[in-house]
Amino acid sequence: MTTAAALATGLPFLAAVLGLAFGRRFPAAARALATLPLAASVLLTWAVAVRHDSGGVTEHGTELTPTGALDITLSMRVDGLSAIVAALVATVALLVQVYSAAYMRKDPRYSSYAALISLFSAAMLLVVYTGDLIVLLVGWEVMGVCSYFLIGHYWETEVARAAAVKAFLVTKLGDVPFLIGVLVLGVGAGSFRIGAIVDGVPPGGAGWATAGTLLMLGGVAGKSAQVPLQTWLPDAMTGPTPVSALIHAATMVAAGAYVVARLYPVFLASDATLVVLAVMAALTMVSSALFAFAQDDLKRVLAWSTVSQLAYMTGGLAAGGRDAAVFHLLTHGAFKALLFLAAGVVIHLAGTGRISDMGGLRRREPLVFWTMTAGLGALVGVPPLSGFFSKEAVLGAAEHTAIDGGAGAPPAVTGWLVIVAGVLTAGLTAAYATRLWLRVFFGEARKPAPEPHGPTPVLMLWPLAVLTVPTVLLGVIGLNESWLPAWLGDADGRAYGSADAANGLLLQAPAYYDLAPRLGTSLAAVALLALGAGAVYALWRRDPAADPARVLGRLRGPAERGFDVDRLYDAVVVRPVWLAARATRFVDRVVIDGYVHAAAQGTWLAGGGVRRSQNGNVQVYLAGVLAGFVVLAVTVAVRA
Amino acid sequence: MHLVYPLVLAVLLFGIGLYGVLARRNAVLVLMSVELMLNAVNVNLVAFDMWLRDTLHAGQALTLFVITIAAAEIGLGLAIVLMIFRNRATSDVSALRDLAEPGAVPRARRRLRTARTRPGSEAA
Amino acid sequence: MSVVLIVAIVLPLIAGSALIAFPVDDRRARYAGVAVTGAVLGLTVVLAGAFDRDDARTMQFETDRAWASSLGLRFHLGVDGISLPLIVLTALLTFLVAVHSLGKLPDGGSARAYVALVLVLEAGVLGTFAALDLILFFLAFEVVLVPMYFLIARWGTPGERGPAAFKFILYTLLGSALMLLGFLLVQAHTGTFDITELAARGGDGMSRGVQITAFLAIGLGLAVKVPMWPLHTWLPDAHTAAPTGGSVLLAGVLLKMGTYGLVRIAVPALPQGAEEFAPYLGAFGAVGIVYGSLVCLALLRSPDGDLKRIIAYSSVGHMGFALLGIATLTAQGINGALFVNIGHGLITGLLFFLAGAVKERSGTALLGRIGGSLYARAPRLGGLLAFAAVAGLGLPGLAGFWGELLAMYGAYHPADELSRGLFLVLLVAAALGTVLTAAYMLGIVRAVCGGPGLAASGTSETDDVGPMAEGAPLVRVDPLPDVGRVDVVAWAPLVAFTVVLGLWPATLLAVTDPAVRALLGGGA
Repeated sequence: MTTAAALATGLPFLAAVLGLAFGRRFPAAARALATLPLAASVLLTWAVAVRHDSGGVTEHGTELTPTGALDITLSMRVDGLSAIVAALVATVALLVQVYSAAYMRKDPRYSSYAALISLFSAAMLLVVYTGDLIVLLVGWEVMGVCSYFLIGHYWETEVARAAAVKAFLVTKLGDVPFLIGVLVLGVGAGSFRIGAIVDGVPPGGAGWATAGTLLMLGGVAGKSAQVPLQTWLPDAMTGPTPVSALIHAATMVAAGAYVVARLYPVFLASDATLVVLAVMAALTMVSSALFAFAQDDLKRVLAWSTVSQLAYMTGGLAAGGRDAAVFHLLTHGAFKALLFLAAGVVIHLAGTGRISDMGGLRRREPLVFWTMTAGLGALVGVPPLSGFFSKEAVLGAAEHTAIDGGAGAPPAVTGWLVIVAGVLTAGLTAAYATRLWLRVFFGEARKPAPEPHGPTPVLMLWPLAVLTVPTVLLGVIGLNESWLPAWLGDADGRAYGSADAANGLLLQAPAYYDLAPRLGTSLAAVALLALGAGAVYALWRRDPAADPARVLGRLRGPAERGFDVDRLYDAVVVRPVWLAARATRFVDRVVIDGYVHAAAQGTWLAGGGVRRSQNGNVQVYLAGVLAGFVVLAVTVAVRA
Repeated sequence: MHLVYPLVLAVLLFGIGLYGVLARRNAVLVLMSVELMLNAVNVNLVAFDMWLRDTLHAGQALTLFVITIAAAEIGLGLAIVLMIFRNRATSDVSALRDLAEPGAVPRARRRLRTARTRPGSEAA
Repeated sequence: MSVVLIVAIVLPLIAGSALIAFPVDDRRARYAGVAVTGAVLGLTVVLAGAFDRDDARTMQFETDRAWASSLGLRFHLGVDGISLPLIVLTALLTFLVAVHSLGKLPDGGSARAYVALVLVLEAGVLGTFAALDLILFFLAFEVVLVPMYFLIARWGTPGERGPAAFKFILYTLLGSALMLLGFLLVQAHTGTFDITELAARGGDGMSRGVQITAFLAIGLGLAVKVPMWPLHTWLPDAHTAAPTGGSVLLAGVLLKMGTYGLVRIAVPALPQGAEEFAPYLGAFGAVGIVYGSLVCLALLRSPDGDLKRIIAYSSVGHMGFALLGIATLTAQGINGALFVNIGHGLITGLLFFLAGAVKERSGTALLGRIGGSLYARAPRLGGLLAFAAVAGLGLPGLAGFWGELLAMYGAYHPADELSRGLFLVLLVAAALGTVLTAAYMLGIVRAVCGGPGLAASGTSETDDVGPMAEGAPLVRVDPLPDVGRVDVVAWAPLVAFTVVLGLWPATLLAVTDPAVRALLGGGA
């Protein structure tokens, strides 16, 4: 099974290497190279997921760095969590590659683009499957660099160049504490292997576990674009739309949440970390939903919405609901990929990404209208679409933490934070999704659409159709405890069975494994949902040409700019670094090189002084020799 | 004979020679003074040789050696002096200053500065 | 097999001298250079193949003859797990430089002299890595300086080469003189110049004071070569002025002699001195990491921001990781330092090759004047530069990462006698330095590779109107000559090794680790 996992990871990597090396020479092969290995990966990951069945861990590895005390192993650790997430990743990646083959068909740089997507898929699969934190870090950073190159795909434009660098640097900044956290955990547990770390946490937690997990939150915040490192994701939308769908919606940004889920027993043992995570999630959730409401660019709306939905996952994790968070990760991966891919078609049809220039697109391409409607419905959490169930699962877990709690559960405050923020966000989500839906598809076109490029290629449409299926139906798998929770296994990777639940052998209280919606939170969320959607609809009915976001009033400008956090960081971080750089260069040139030059100049001066005695008169020299001799003779005589 | 007599003689000879080397300006006289110093050494060598009753008579042997060297040396030296006198019409050592550093210090500073500031310079 | 080692060192020396002595025409001299360095590379590969990996801790292929017995000098050569990778790296890089010199050389003198100097240089470096006698080490160490001086002074950038070469040789000679004093001090107290013997004694026979003094002298001498902040200012000048081949060898090979000397001589032979100075070494290393990156950032925006100067300062940062690793006095840290050595040799060698190519094609290395849009003007070259930059910022999965990781891991858990708190601070500084490194590396890519240039083959027409619709003004740019055939031969091995070592670090660590353990075991 681990062989299949390794193959699934290796094939796209191989495709990427070949594509980067020879893609320019054989452009004809680029499409096949992009899709076929990934198709094989999809089959393999599904095979692994199905064979894995229920529970247990399979792990296999070889040593990478024989350096004594702590060894890094290239290992594949297949458990329920990794098997399922890998299947999601590979599938979305394949759909995106297929979509890109049509979408980027005129791009001369298609071969390198496709190779980078393959490389990204390999890296993400490595992150998902690996059983070693350092190897995970490798995949983690390779994903980051692929994201960098793909965001900068249109490097002719200044925005793309800037966004690419910003995305990489912000996530890299988060990776600094992440790396140190990994070291802390590795040294604390005596191994970098996830299995050993998970098993090595003493009951009741340990100092190193708390410190390590707190530090790791930096990387989680960076990768998953959570407060305070959220600002890179909206800018990253300058990349091609399929890239946004794959990397900046469905997979890479979810890696932050995935890592927490992967190390869940360690996080669960650190109350402080969970509280910080909950605060982070609550802030992110509400603020980015608000930002999404104020955006005018279609992709930026979706980007902020992604940030907000990722916060549901991290919030769920903070409140003890690991299975719920993973559930949301899966459904979100499906419906957000769908939304982005559909957005790509919409932008293609409208000839612009600005919502204020769209309108009335419902009739242009009905399939897109219906699939996007399904996606938005799932995003908002309209029952019985998939998003409803996963979101309710998160809120249900939070409710249990807040009210019932119990030994071993996260602090109640995390539960309350997540419930309040989550319910509020449900309303905001409904509002921005409704706004998007109405403004894009209904009313009159506010700008004459450009001449159609011809019919939308079929290859761009059928991934939408495929993704609609899980978007609508995936919620079902959470309804029975023996479906998703059993498949995922317990948080430490061990098999999960109802008998264990009854005997109290599980890591957490049985309620956390029950993903079915609960009445209280469901009612609250649906009520707010209706309120948000209704309010926007009412606003829109009053004046279909005007933007419902006008209701924000003076808040709208700051909200559109993400509360100007960028400017704050510019003033607090970026400018001081530039200043420090200039100061350092000055010091280097004047002080450090200064003493070198001073040494040289001193030698010149001393030499000049000695030269003065060189007057050419031999007798003076001889007198000097004599004087020296006398001094020596006298010294010797006195000594003797 | 007591050792002190030849030694006093040697000191006197050496002193006169030293004075001549350091103070006289005529190159020929300087060379003659060098000879005086060498001969002072020779006197010492012979005197100590006798005083120590050296069976090998190393002192006397070395004296012969020095005399030979001195002869060669004075030959060369006089030839050089002759050449100089022919070229310059003088044998005054204090006038022969071609190897002096002309105003060394200011010029060194100047060169340093150009080497540092003018990128084209490869004087360094 | 010990003959092979001697031949590998002597062959380039003889060939180089012959090229200097006999008038060979330039074309033949170039091919002779390729042939000789190729042969040396072959010999070192044979050595690597014959090397007993299960016994990497002991010296292999040893030669130990009396040389000047009245002075106690011995002709003692040997290879173990620490020096083997460096020897192969040296042979590889010199070979690639020789191949590269088949192309256009900068003006400055005959290609014959250039090749001859490169060969002598190779002999010196190989000798340094194989020497097991302090004086022999010193001799080889010094032999390297002379050819490098001439390479810079004659084939360098006109206008900068004179002062730069002068600064280079004086600065490093000063360091060497100090180092020699240290060696003599060690010999005076132990009665031997033999490196293995000294390592085995682990400081026996020297009082703490003597060890500290000797470490200070030897360490300072080697630190100039590393170069350690604040003794680094010769490096940027030398790199900026040096011809491409010279830069590659300088960064790829010469700098390694400093860290190698620390690992081979200073730390094992003078453990108490090492313990005393380790915190300083680590602190200067960490300062170098941050400082080098900051200067690079400033150069990005400055009008005299020279591509080669930036890469030179990046070397200060990277070698800072090596110093930090050594300063931890742990097996992980020192392994990390050795890994940094190799990784930096490969990556910075590649970066200098590419910078040289850019400079040759666009006529300048000033960032502001290169003109950007390399992705459009020479796509392969641009792609390679981006690859090298990404490798240079220490991307996991490429050769630059593991050394940094191991050094930082060592800093998290330094040797027992060192202050944990200080090294935690250094760890944080080094980790933040990686972010700054990423910033300037990507800054280079942004300035050189990106730009509003429109590829001659057509723009990227897609349906994606997002950023393109904003009407970014596109400029048609002239294409530059892309990667040529000689370039491929010279660069491909570097790319390949960067990837292989990044994906499978065990290839290197399996060789170095036993030797490092043996050194530390003998020392502490």
